[in-house]
Amino acid sequence: MPAAPATDVRPAPAGPDGNGPAGPPAGRWARLLREFTHGKVGFTLGFSITVAVVLNPIFAPPFTVVLGRSITVGLVLLLAYVLAGQWHQRWVPRWLAQALAVALAAPLATLGVYLVSTGGDFIAFVQHPARVAGFVWISGSALALGLVLALGALVRDREAAVREREAQARSLQLQFQLERAELERQAVDARLALLTAQIEPHFLFNTLANVQALVETGSPRAAEVLRSLVAYLRAALPRLHEGGLPTLANEVRLVQAYLELMHLRMPDRLQFRVDVASEILGLRFAPMALLTLVENAVRHGVDPSETGGHIDVGGRAEGTHGLRLWVADTGVGLSGHGEQGTGLANLRERLLTLYGPHARLELSEHTPRGVRAEIIVPDVRGPAAPVAEPR
Amino acid sequence: MTVPAATALIADDEPLLREHLQAHLARLWPQCQVVAQARNGREAVQLYEQHHPDVVFLDVHMPGMNGVEAARQIGRDALLVFVTAYDSYAVQAFEEGAIDYLVKPFEAERLADTVQRLALRLDERQAPAAAGTVRADPPMTEVPAPATLDEVLARLAAQMQRQAGSRPWLQWIKASVGQAVRLIPADEVTYLRSDEKYTLVVWSGGEALIRKPIRELVDELDPEQFVQIHRSVIVNLRHVTQVTRGANETADVHLRGRTETLPVSRSYLHLFRQM
Repeated sequence: MPAAPATDVRPAPAGPDGNGPAGPPAGRWARLLREFTHGKVGFTLGFSITVAVVLNPIFAPPFTVVLGRSITVGLVLLLAYVLAGQWHQRWVPRWLAQALAVALAAPLATLGVYLVSTGGDFIAFVQHPARVAGFVWISGSALALGLVLALGALVRDREAAVREREAQARSLQLQFQLERAELERQAVDARLALLTAQIEPHFLFNTLANVQALVETGSPRAAEVLRSLVAYLRAALPRLHEGGLPTLANEVRLVQAYLELMHLRMPDRLQFRVDVASEILGLRFAPMALLTLVENAVRHGVDPSETGGHIDVGGRAEGTHGLRLWVADTGVGLSGHGEQGTGLANLRERLLTLYGPHARLELSEHTPRGVRAEIIVPDVRGPAAPVAEPR
Repeated sequence: MTVPAATALIADDEPLLREHLQAHLARLWPQCQVVAQARNGREAVQLYEQHHPDVVFLDVHMPGMNGVEAARQIGRDALLVFVTAYDSYAVQAFEEGAIDYLVKPFEAERLADTVQRLALRLDERQAPAAAGTVRADPPMTEVPAPATLDEVLARLAAQMQRQAGSRPWLQWIKASVGQAVRLIPADEVTYLRSDEKYTLVVWSGGEALIRKPIRELVDELDPEQFVQIHRSVIVNLRHVTQVTRGANETADVHLRGRTETLPVSRSYLHLFRQM
């Protein structure tokens, strides 16, 4: 038996479907052998024996001969069934190919068996009426039983395939739900982070100390500085009930207020310019995003430097619905081992949840020194995800 | 109580606050002459060497060298007063070390207390053998034992160093992308793979080549987060979604947001044994 497929099988995998899973030959044999399950072979043998027992009374030859013929035909049908199932072709559906293979193999296998018994003499076989009758009986019952069994097996295989597909779909859906839950959690985290600890006490008290100095000396600048401080606090303090996103104009005012306060505190060390294109000021944008970058530029760029630096804040439209914002400083820059920018990971997550994976936050070295941070949002209308800003 | 004449140095990076302190000192302690103002720790040390004032007011947070580092260099010849805005840990250290301090924004009365204490100590220094002088009050604070002062300052300096974020592990990878040098946070790096002369950095924002070889990177990156899984591959564990085992003692690492998998060599397989 194992020798039989060796001649028959070769053309099958190398069929017209060249891009099929062309594994190494050893793998193909292994796969083919795996198709001959105990169940299939046992079934085939069982039915072959039954057919032999049932047909025995009408046959002249001894039972063993009838049994041998029946089993041989049965195994050839099984082989035809399996090979047709493995054959990569696209002219007919696989189930039809398998049924046709069985139908074709039934008379051919029987003929082969009878030719063996007549020593290969076809004329002698045809002229022997008892043998022709035997051929008709065996091939007829093989055809009928083989087709019924083959179609039964096909139905069972198909059901298994459907079940497998359903299981796959279920696991995909589970994975999808998991991912969505993760995204929602990130959105809530980002929201929470926004609600807590935005104002550093160190910043607040140092600024107040400056206000105190101005007030005590009766400086006319005191009122102006207090206005900046109030604008900053109003924007930076947590707001629990907030309908939708504020405009970019809002954020730019906040950034301006913050930079003015810092300039008051270190007039000799901090220079700045804020220049955001007016056509994008009306867009609604993630609150505190630009401020986070500006605070980082002060805290990690300009403030650690004895000589200070310049901060350049800008923005312009990008395409019809996009925008690009940047903060460039000429401070000390980031050393490889330095601190990770404060709140940058958080900002990245917020951009992801609000605007989808195409929104980017990029940091690069600014020449001749310092850091340039950019936020690029290709479409501020976002991924239409209602999870972005939970109520 | 007679208020002795004295000289003082004020160090703060914020000019308005330097002026403010000097104005209050002039009112509360007219005999004290502010000989210099410093804008950072380095200048403070320099100006101290130049003028040797009796009293040094030091802002804790200053660019370059901070106030605590400057104090350690200035030593104990001067009377130190730290000035800080809301540093609970620093304030706690000052309390423990009986070191004088002011919290910004300060009240005039608080500065008056400080001036009184300073004057008292200067008095003791200038006339250690002034026997017979009857003091109305015992000294408000004992002069801290020198060892304690040094110890407290050293501890505080170490703590500030940590807070400033100088961490032992590489936090940023610098990579040329087009004309720019991109700064890639280590957290965002998915994996690194050596590619002949270069190292390929794959992160959520793209891919880039750097010159630093894998064998150097593996020592510089946080070993809790980055592990070598192959002679030529380092992976960020936080980006690993699953590890599938293959036949023959092999395994593949699957990564968040990537379709490709990474092979694990046999010698690194122990990293992914089940817990």
